[in-house]
Amino acid sequence: MEVLKTLLQQMFYVLIFPGFLFCFIFGLFLSGIDRKMVARMQRRIGPPITQSFYDFFKLVGKDHIIPRKASKKAFLLAPVFGLISIVIISLFIPIFGFTFQESTADIIVILYLITIPALSLVFGGSSSGSAYASIGISREMVTMLSYELPLVMILLSIGKKAGAAINGNVTFSLADIGKYQSLYGIIISKWALIPAAIAFLLIIPAEVGTVPFDAAEAETEICEGPLVEYSGLYLGIYKLTQAVKMFIMGSLFLALFFGGSGFSNIFLNIILMIIGVIITIVISVSFVRSILGRLKVEQTLKFFWTVPTALSAISLILVYLKY
Amino acid sequence: MTSYFSNLPIIAILTPFLGAFLTALLGERKKLLIIEKCIPIATTFTSLTSLIFLIKPVLINKYIVTYWMGNWKPESQWAIGIGLEVDAFSLFIGLIIAAACFLSAVYSFRYMEEDNGLDKYYVLFQLLSASMIGFVLTGDVFNMYVMLEIMTFAAIALTSFRNHIYKSVEAGFKYIVIGSLGSSFILLGTALLYSQLHTLNIAQMAALLHGNYTPVSILALAFMLTGYAVKAFLVPCHTWPVDAHMAAPSSISMLLSGIMSKTGVYALVRILYMIYQSTGRPEMEFLIIFWGAVTMLVGITMAVVQTDFKRLLAFSSVSQIGYIMAGFGVGLSVNKGVAVVGTMGGLFHMLNHAAFKSLLFLCAGAVLHQTGTTDLNKLGGLSKKMPYTTAFFIIGTLSISGIPPFNGFVSKWLIYQATFEAGYAPVTIIALIASVLTLASLVKVIQSVFFGQLREEHKDVKEVPLTMRIPMMILSAICIFVGVFPHIVSKYLIEPAAFSIYNIGSYIDVMFGKGYAVKMFKETVSIPSMNYTLAGYWNPASWLILFVILLIALILFFSFGYKTTNSKVVDDLINTRYETFTGGEKESYNHLGENDMFWGMRQDFGRYFKFIKNAHSGVVNDYVLWVVTTCALVTIYLFTLM
Amino acid sequence: MLFNYIGSFLIIIFGLYIIIVKKNLIKIVIGMSLIDAGINLLLISIGFRQGGTAPIFISDLKPGAFFVDPVPQALTLTSIVIGACVTALALSLVIKIKAHYGSIDADKVRRLNG
Repeated sequence: MEVLKTLLQQMFYVLIFPGFLFCFIFGLFLSGIDRKMVARMQRRIGPPITQSFYDFFKLVGKDHIIPRKASKKAFLLAPVFGLISIVIISLFIPIFGFTFQESTADIIVILYLITIPALSLVFGGSSSGSAYASIGISREMVTMLSYELPLVMILLSIGKKAGAAINGNVTFSLADIGKYQSLYGIIISKWALIPAAIAFLLIIPAEVGTVPFDAAEAETEICEGPLVEYSGLYLGIYKLTQAVKMFIMGSLFLALFFGGSGFSNIFLNIILMIIGVIITIVISVSFVRSILGRLKVEQTLKFFWTVPTALSAISLILVYLKY
Repeated sequence: MTSYFSNLPIIAILTPFLGAFLTALLGERKKLLIIEKCIPIATTFTSLTSLIFLIKPVLINKYIVTYWMGNWKPESQWAIGIGLEVDAFSLFIGLIIAAACFLSAVYSFRYMEEDNGLDKYYVLFQLLSASMIGFVLTGDVFNMYVMLEIMTFAAIALTSFRNHIYKSVEAGFKYIVIGSLGSSFILLGTALLYSQLHTLNIAQMAALLHGNYTPVSILALAFMLTGYAVKAFLVPCHTWPVDAHMAAPSSISMLLSGIMSKTGVYALVRILYMIYQSTGRPEMEFLIIFWGAVTMLVGITMAVVQTDFKRLLAFSSVSQIGYIMAGFGVGLSVNKGVAVVGTMGGLFHMLNHAAFKSLLFLCAGAVLHQTGTTDLNKLGGLSKKMPYTTAFFIIGTLSISGIPPFNGFVSKWLIYQATFEAGYAPVTIIALIASVLTLASLVKVIQSVFFGQLREEHKDVKEVPLTMRIPMMILSAICIFVGVFPHIVSKYLIEPAAFSIYNIGSYIDVMFGKGYAVKMFKETVSIPSMNYTLAGYWNPASWLILFVILLIALILFFSFGYKTTNSKVVDDLINTRYETFTGGEKESYNHLGENDMFWGMRQDFGRYFKFIKNAHSGVVNDYVLWVVTTCALVTIYLFTLM
Repeated sequence: MLFNYIGSFLIIIFGLYIIIVKKNLIKIVIGMSLIDAGINLLLISIGFRQGGTAPIFISDLKPGAFFVDPVPQALTLTSIVIGACVTALALSLVIKIKAHYGSIDADKVRRLNG
């Protein structure tokens, strides 16, 4: 009986909340809100907020074509693995003190699972056999190289700060970071980690793959890069992955920097998280997207290895010196 | 000890030697060729099984097996014979070596069909495997040198085996110059150490030296470190493997790159941890970690700009050896908890690197066998003709970059954690950059060789035969198994090995009788069992969730996608439905090869890449100068700090 | 005795100098064997004892007979054999290089670079 209850509970977490269904709905909502905000800032009316849902269902209904030169198995498997890994991450991120999947090393798992959607883009594009796709994957690898470095430094500095107070070494568990924040106050209030927060906000557009860092999927230049040969359901899966990634990055930002215990009621916590994620995404993705143009991939590399790396290195050094 | 297992080490070493002589006697007659091909498989299999029988006493019961050659037992606590002494660390590496030699023998059954002089190939191959096993199982410093020389000699002869190609001969010459320089340094170090201690047995040296160093012994340490660094290709001495692994036949490249480097690391660990007992000295820790970090970085940045398939794999081998050395460097730290994690990371990465690097080289060999070239600019689109090779290569790529279900993740994570907690955070960051660059260089290979568009001249390429696929399948299975069940591997193989590296008291006791070592080593370092909660994915509920998710994924994949593609469409300008998008023009061959990948990054760091490419000038004298400079620098460093 | 040690190290340094500076491949092989000779001299000198005889079992062996140390002599024999094999292999590779490249100048035998 116990086993059945745990099983049902785990299935609920995986499939409904915060698993597939919630990620799906909220991710597409976020994508719609992002488009609406950009349009409003550019003095247009813009599409309705539910436009992304219409897009996704339209794509599912269309036929898909596999080019003759493509390697079929890799072509079709790659988007599916990207979607699966990004949904699994949502199980590891706590919502204000309520964790779904306890684990002593969440951050490691999250770090690796976040690179898998970018890898699935690379393998999908490479297996399609098109020249545009090959240029796209080259740029995608360089972009991935550029944002991995500051991301790891930020996670290490937060882990060290939270872990030093709890058990003396660096901690890799989001549950521990949440516990630290409920005891000592939210992390963004510690001034040693404010550069890390700014660096994280700069990394979010690169992870999500939106202007100014989306040289890999440049629509006008290389016809969507790795996605050029995809159509139908699999293109829908890639777009869905991008939308869910927005949700994951926003939720990760909240859990790392604004986490803690929140309110004691679970529903109020969920609403707080939804509002927090929307505000985060609007600030870091939409505002930036509506103003700036697209950077070249070498400029992306140069930018990420100077500005966010310097900010997160400052945080790491300050945390080491025990501020 | 007259139980059955004290004879097993000598059986494991002698059988391939006897097989080598037998093969040489049979000579080069066409009718005996099939027997000559089966002899190495039989002898390496015998070595493997005798080492497997040693698992129970050594790894499980923690017993150390000794065998004195010619039955010259030690007299009044002084060793006068050559002793084979097998403890858990030796057996761990011995198993890796024997298994890899067996797989290579199976692979070369079909791979070397078109060469002649095959009896000489098999003689040299068996000499190589026997000497490698002998190197790790012996307990005598000069015996190590002799086995090392046999190993080097056989490897050089095998590198230049195909001497109708100019690459093999040039690579063989550079290998012999640099390799024999390294061996000379090792002999010099051994001679100087003998002059201080008057013994050649490792256990006795450890007991006599015991941390009080004389200047001559420090000079000997410097020479031996440089010599074994040449064998284990740490950075300025890394120039010979990139030519040698490229030119050797692929079944041998796998042994040279994946396995011979491990013997160099094994010797370095024996010297540092056992003979010189430098655990707990921060200056040695700094030296080894610094060396490991430099190796990681230089190795992988050179790999990004290579144009030859096997040369790129050799450079990435150099970089992975840097990881292993950084792990063992942390193992020398004062803080015992962190040190143990570092050593276990280093040991685990040795096992993983042997597995996935062998797999990558076997795939490279398959491509070379079928198409006849390894130039990345001349290949493309082979995944439709060689699907198995592509799948195995992708598994190897994901393992080497450290993606979770595969084995690279576990060992790399141990190394990151160990270096970060030992206080060397820049090394963690360098390790991460190197990891992503490894992924980038191997994705470059996949894009240029396997995916993309097929060239005209490779239209009739077929998949490799079954005997060549079997070793690749076994290695992929090992990669996946070790990645999914790391705690089984850790409990039976890694922890006993780490225990025996730190607690050398029992190693010395076996030779001298009980109680001798207790006077010197009062505390035992206990190895905590790694329960891998740090790997983060370890409870049954998560397995169930994973299963459900994979079920959904497979439903999505099979029900919607798989069947609708039509390849019988006529190829004309109007009905271009199944061709790639070209913006309206007629589709032609436009495969993006190696030169076009990462173009922007290569331009940006152009000065660095140009400097380092020109530094690898190809002239033998330059490479030797680097080795001598390393020796000088290490000597100066050790003398000022000890 | 000191003279032996200084001499052997000088020979090793000469051998290293030849390998680093000279461009002709056969001279490089000569340098390699010079290093081997220096190390062999060092090995023998380590085992020397003033006034000792050769370490061979003679028929009228008394206890307390004074030998030089026999172990380094065994090591030196092994090392001489290994040196001979390495020189033979290196010279055969030089012959093959001449057949492929047409010259034995180290500056011309550098097609594998970068």
